[in-house]
Amino acid sequence: MEAELYLDYNTSYHRLDARTKIIVFLCIFIGVLMFQDPRWLIPTFLLVLVQLLVSRSAKNLQRIRYVLLVMSISSIVLWNFFASGATPLFWVFDVESMYYALGRTILIFSIVTMGVILISTTRNEELIMGMIKMGLPYRVGFAISTSLRLVPTVAASLTTISQAQRSRGLDLESGNVFERVKKFLPLLVPVFLSTIRNTNIFGMALESRGFGARDDRTYYLQMQMTKVDWAALAFFFLYVAVSIWLNVAGYGKIVGLVRF
Amino acid sequence: MTEPTLLIQDLTYRYRGTKENAIESINLALERGEFLVLMGPTGAGKSTLATCINGLIPHFHKGKLEGNVIVCGKNTRDHTVAQMAEDVGLVFQDFEAQLFSTNVELEVAFGPENFAVPREEIGQRIGENLAYVGLSDFRNRPPSTLSGGQKQKLAVASVLALQPKVLVMDEPTTDLDPISKMGIFEITNRLRQRSDLTLLVVEHETEEVLHASRIALLKDGRLVKVGSAHEILRDVDLIESLGLMPLGITRFFKDMCFETPAAVDLPLLPVEAETAYRNNSWQVCPQTYEALVAKEAETEQTFRAKEPLIRCRDLEFSYPNGVKALDGISLDIYPGDIVAIVGQNGSGKTTLAKHFNGLLLPTGGMITVNGKTTKEQGIFRLGQSVGYVFQNPDHQIFSETVYDEVSFGPRLRGLPADQIKARVTETLKAVGLEGAEEEDPFSMTKSGRQRVAVAAVLAVQPDVLILDEPTTGLDYREQRSMMDMVRRLNENGSTIIFITHHMWVVAEYARKVFVVKDGRLFLEGTTREVFSHEQALLEASLRPPHFIQFTNLLGHTMLRPAELIACTKGGGA
Repeated sequence: MEAELYLDYNTSYHRLDARTKIIVFLCIFIGVLMFQDPRWLIPTFLLVLVQLLVSRSAKNLQRIRYVLLVMSISSIVLWNFFASGATPLFWVFDVESMYYALGRTILIFSIVTMGVILISTTRNEELIMGMIKMGLPYRVGFAISTSLRLVPTVAASLTTISQAQRSRGLDLESGNVFERVKKFLPLLVPVFLSTIRNTNIFGMALESRGFGARDDRTYYLQMQMTKVDWAALAFFFLYVAVSIWLNVAGYGKIVGLVRF
Repeated sequence: MTEPTLLIQDLTYRYRGTKENAIESINLALERGEFLVLMGPTGAGKSTLATCINGLIPHFHKGKLEGNVIVCGKNTRDHTVAQMAEDVGLVFQDFEAQLFSTNVELEVAFGPENFAVPREEIGQRIGENLAYVGLSDFRNRPPSTLSGGQKQKLAVASVLALQPKVLVMDEPTTDLDPISKMGIFEITNRLRQRSDLTLLVVEHETEEVLHASRIALLKDGRLVKVGSAHEILRDVDLIESLGLMPLGITRFFKDMCFETPAAVDLPLLPVEAETAYRNNSWQVCPQTYEALVAKEAETEQTFRAKEPLIRCRDLEFSYPNGVKALDGISLDIYPGDIVAIVGQNGSGKTTLAKHFNGLLLPTGGMITVNGKTTKEQGIFRLGQSVGYVFQNPDHQIFSETVYDEVSFGPRLRGLPADQIKARVTETLKAVGLEGAEEEDPFSMTKSGRQRVAVAAVLAVQPDVLILDEPTTGLDYREQRSMMDMVRRLNENGSTIIFITHHMWVVAEYARKVFVVKDGRLFLEGTTREVFSHEQALLEASLRPPHFIQFTNLLGHTMLRPAELIACTKGGGA
């Protein structure tokens, strides 16, 4: 089973320096926070979609489509409970709170998509290197990348384990959501156990290869900022500056919205 | 006198929370350039001893350590594992869990990076070590796309990149197919000739340890015997009494009372064996051999007269990412048979077997079980007649007691309570775990858990039992008792299909063999037929056991020493 998150393509997005990609991610993060009104979020959202297309990472987004769907629906509903407006729609839903919920959903969606793009286009080592070059201690960077690495391993063992149980007659495909979740729970025992076991070996393998032997450390991987990187950075800095300016100038707010 | 590279003095160790010592009073000294193989049954303390050498014990695993381990003058007590890494390299059995980079090159670079080796030199070390293990062409590949054998080679390269003086390998070939095994041992062999490196390998494949300079036998945490490899391997009785696999060739000559010229010269290798056999003017009696073959042909005919239980025609399977795993497989499996499916890591064996119980559905061609396609039956119904035991029992077991685990299947299928109880008792008896109902499966040994997994599948009383690598990770004695149990099930009417890398298991237990290569059926026939095609097997990355190679040299394929004894006439016999 293919469980790697990194997509081994050679798109222009892949070729960007990891630092650039991290900064772009942060820029979008700041950018979306500047607007409440979904209409004002559309440019940012389009910017995210363009990146998704250029980096060819839609495949990974598709993998988490169910998570995204559940997240979007609950977000659209739940934000209404935390905001109200002047024009009632029905029950706790008002036109303004509805707009607000929609805006928040676009926000979450954009950030998740950016995260997926970052992971799909950047090798683990490049990601750590990028973070270290930006001032993060090596061990912290390594810890972050380790948790990312765990995802494919857990996914693979989950597949094998659910196959093993289905072979024994466990019917994971029928029943409503609750029944399925109930049937799925026992599977987590072997998943956890094998993950713990693997992590243990992983820890031993790390130490056996001298992890943390010295305070100083060299890096084989080299990173080079190119003109394209600087151009991309310039563009996204401009984007953030404009977004902040618009926010300060009072644009992008929903009139009549009260947040609790 | 020079100081030994590795010195173990009165080493005793007990894991925290256990009552017994895992290893006890071990004394061992290895000179520079020596190659020592550590052998012993499961639980003898081999891995414990191996992990003591680079300091994982006592630094990573907490427990009570007495005595000393001194590597190149450094006592493991006073240095962390990471600090020891420059002197001691450790390769683990599990080739998945010990690799963690996204790129072959960076995997090798990781060790030297930690020791602040200059970048140019790291590049040089990557080149050298990848070339050494034969992975130069894979420099930029993600390790996850490599085969099992290649992964293990990469693990070796990445440890060698630290330029250690001692290399410890803990069962490096257990999960590999015969040719990948040979690949690793070929590397070990070259390493052995490097006088700057001291090698310590934990292994239980006797045929592969012939090149060692010394062998240390371990049992219950104590050293039983340390001696030259040939001396130890010739002591077949001792090896067998420890629950290890004796060399088939040596066993045969020993049983033939081959006393001349001297017991110390018992042949070890196929070519030596052939010479010794002919020198003793022994001959294979053609009549006895023909009778053997004729009987097998007759059995084959009886099976062919039956209606096949599983029938595949031009079976094809492609994964969603477009990789074609099966490419037109046609085969018949008859009720009551016991067949082996063999092939290289990644050849498609497991994918094929997963079609037999409907876990995977073909993307082309057809497969029927009991006359109906697997698609129309579905996995839930098919699971009733085709049981599948997965390779790793830990992927299957999740209950707190053996009883719960074994009764899981029958309960799901709605059997009444009293019947379930009887079922569990009966099944546990069949797998040799009588009265273990209340035990916690997680505290059992690997072979115990393997049995629980088999019992859990057997409890629904399937007609067919598929076992994926049932003997991996078990020692010889456990492998034997596992397979004896499987054979008993077969004799009681179950159809058995097993996947394995252990060629001797195939030779001893299978009636028929299917060889899979690159998603196609490469060779099929009775076990004897298949093993007689040594050259073809080699193409599929397989290799018959030495004993069979020896009998092939004699012009007749014999599967067991006993067969050859029965067929031999003349000379001293």
